[in-house]
Amino acid sequence: MLEQLLIFTRGGLILWTCKELGNALKGSPIDTLIRSCLLEERSGAASYNYDAPGAAYTLKWTFHNELGLVFVAVYQRILHLLYVDELLAMAKREFSEIYDPKRMNYNDFDETFRQLRKEAEARAEELKKSKHVGKPVIDGKKQGQVKKGGFEGGNKKKSEANDGGDGDTGKSYKLETGHSNGNHVNIEGSRAVVANSKENASSNVGAFDVSKLQKLRSKGGKKTDTVVNKGSNVHPKKKITKKNRVWDDSPQESKLDFTDPLEENGNENIEVVGTDHGESMMDKEEIISSDSEDESEEVGKESKPDTKKKGWFSSMFQSIAGKANLEKSDLEPALKALKDRLMTKNVAEEIAEKLCESVAASLEGKKQASFTRISSKVQAAMEEALVRILTPRRSIDILRDVHAAKEQRKPYVVVFVGVNGVGKSTNLAKVAYWLLQHEISVMMAACDTFRSGAVEQLRTHARRLQIPIFEKGYEKDPAIVAKEAIQEAARNGSDVVLVDTAGRMQDNEPLMRALSKLVYLNNPDLVLFVGEALVGNDAVDQLSKFNQKLADLSTSPNPRLIDGILLTKFDTIDDKVGAALSMVYISGAPVMFVGCGQSYTDLKKLNVKSIVKTLLK
Amino acid sequence: MEGMEQWKNEAKQWLQQGIEYAHQIPPTQLYAAATVLLLTTLFLLIVRLFKRTKSNTIVLTGLTGSGKTVLFYQLQDGSSHQGTVTSMEPNEETFILHSESSKKGKIKPVHLVDVPGHSRLRPKLDEFLPQAAGIVFVVDALEFLPNLRGVSEYLYDILTKASVVKRKVPVLICCNKTDKVTAHTKDFIRKQLEKEIEKLRVSRSGISEADVANEFTLGIPGELFTFSHCSNKVTIAESSGLTGEISQVEQFIREHVKP
Repeated sequence: MLEQLLIFTRGGLILWTCKELGNALKGSPIDTLIRSCLLEERSGAASYNYDAPGAAYTLKWTFHNELGLVFVAVYQRILHLLYVDELLAMAKREFSEIYDPKRMNYNDFDETFRQLRKEAEARAEELKKSKHVGKPVIDGKKQGQVKKGGFEGGNKKKSEANDGGDGDTGKSYKLETGHSNGNHVNIEGSRAVVANSKENASSNVGAFDVSKLQKLRSKGGKKTDTVVNKGSNVHPKKKITKKNRVWDDSPQESKLDFTDPLEENGNENIEVVGTDHGESMMDKEEIISSDSEDESEEVGKESKPDTKKKGWFSSMFQSIAGKANLEKSDLEPALKALKDRLMTKNVAEEIAEKLCESVAASLEGKKQASFTRISSKVQAAMEEALVRILTPRRSIDILRDVHAAKEQRKPYVVVFVGVNGVGKSTNLAKVAYWLLQHEISVMMAACDTFRSGAVEQLRTHARRLQIPIFEKGYEKDPAIVAKEAIQEAARNGSDVVLVDTAGRMQDNEPLMRALSKLVYLNNPDLVLFVGEALVGNDAVDQLSKFNQKLADLSTSPNPRLIDGILLTKFDTIDDKVGAALSMVYISGAPVMFVGCGQSYTDLKKLNVKSIVKTLLK
Repeated sequence: MEGMEQWKNEAKQWLQQGIEYAHQIPPTQLYAAATVLLLTTLFLLIVRLFKRTKSNTIVLTGLTGSGKTVLFYQLQDGSSHQGTVTSMEPNEETFILHSESSKKGKIKPVHLVDVPGHSRLRPKLDEFLPQAAGIVFVVDALEFLPNLRGVSEYLYDILTKASVVKRKVPVLICCNKTDKVTAHTKDFIRKQLEKEIEKLRVSRSGISEADVANEFTLGIPGELFTFSHCSNKVTIAESSGLTGEISQVEQFIREHVKP
């Protein structure tokens, strides 16, 4: 049962809502859809899930790009309605016939919509009946669980389902529930259905069936974000005491902590103060070369081989006359060329695919103006989309945040996380140098208690920059060290605390749990993910797993996720800047710094326009 | 080949005829004609120059969710129809304000632009500012304190843009949603904004050039910032988009889009 169907313009005015389905929507699903999906260039996705206290909706949408209209359907997530796509398409067709830019009131569409809905529902019913003939017995208990009982002609269905006979409609019901949240396991024999269960984290399931838990355990279900697995995994882990990590077959060393705070004889030679290396590149303006003219010609030459297939004359004619409407098949060659170009620039394959789908969704159905080629139009749309993604959603003015924290007399805590070897410690020192140049007092916290030499490395940086460092040596719990460091900073009046952590792979469960504990315990102001620009498709995996683990393994109701990205080793890639795009797209976090070298001054801001230009060159 | 020869000859003949005809006209007439032509072109250029300085564009801007699109439709049609959602694209229309549609006489239509407030769409504002004759900065008076930082940063950015400072574009800070009981008053909002902008001024001036996207600085160094320090006129008003209380906004628009 549809909750609501809205038609609104891209400028924001609602043109029509269905008055029959008068249910007020809980929360604000439409606004959230626009902000987190459509404006984030994920409009190629099939649907969007929205959770509010008291309701869980799924939203589906379609665009009419020529008239600038958006059609959105909202329904409860537990009901997997099959007719929504069709209904949206039909509504789009009917509405575009009566649409007039000057008209704001479309009450006559009510009647048309009612008929359309009846048709769509009837057609979906027939489809279900023809598909699911002769399926096994349904569980009568399942029907009671579903909250929304009000189908059209609902009585008829219920009686059919409770028959226990070959429930055609009942089976579809099962399919819906099985499809939406994977925890509804059908008890009698329809194992195949469960195999299709999706990854939707279900927050709308009130009571858990014990039988379901048993089923999951018996199958050894590999869903890490179910309560079941968490419960079964945590208990054994708590009993194991912490063992030293053994990397190879070498015999265990007795003493691992080689820090000796008293012994400093060998360190006097390196006592070079590093405060005067000049201006950090963060503060220098970037000189952008202006060669935008040449690019459009290059693009033209590259895409010509595609259009040659259609015939030179016909394409010229069409580009002058302008075709009626852009179809997906027309956009495909240009989009494919664009996607390949993005991938050669080291953008992750998944991201390039999603972006192209989103651009296609926004261009489909638009009239092709005369004297324009499809490729140039696609290019312009893609450029706009890229600028939109890379523009930060919130202010990345760290200095302002630091000043705000200073007023509240609290230190501003930054935690650097990332996988092994991306440059956390080096870039931490660069950030400290930059902050020092703006007259902010910094303190470092050495919470990398695993890697040999990590504490000494930070100590050397601290000595060169002449800032205090808080360290507790090796083999200590990083979360506790960080907590004590923050307390120390509050005591001696440091404005910023930079916390260095050990590198860890995103799949390593115990290490990720330790990181989550550090974040939860200390509640830092900024969780900075350090990623290298050389990474390829792994960027997607790294960021999504980090975010997922931070969310799952945290014990607080509002888990902290990654707030910003620090992109390192930017000087080693010439123009393969795609990693920046993949990381920003998958996490939604802005790129706050870019490390472009190995000395203190090599830290700069991300220049959105130059990156977009490089990506599309 | 022969055809081309023929055409060449014919063209030459026509040219000669034309020259003879031109010689036949007495020189005074020629000069008179030339001067008339010159004068008219000069006149048109001057007129166009003067016309350009009097633009009729008003830009509606502010944070997302402050009520710009509702205000836009109130000004245009007198009602906000069935409600609005977050805008994805700017709304622009040229029309006569709804409240004045019953007035007689020649009224200049207003070109109103509603720029989306979502931070991802901020660059769109720069497209419309160069032609703006006035800016209406809409502030949500209900959810003011949680968004205070975002509002003040956005306002600061606008007040320090070159296209605004150089052309002295007047700004109206419009406190929207005043029909609700818990909305703040315009004086409270003004004081809070001045305080925040003062803080921003201090922190932004401490940063070197590249960090500052602002081309100008605000206010007089050494004194607490008030809106009277701005070189362009900044006024503050109240309104309520949903109930239609938009008289102060209309007044502002009328003032700056002169008929």
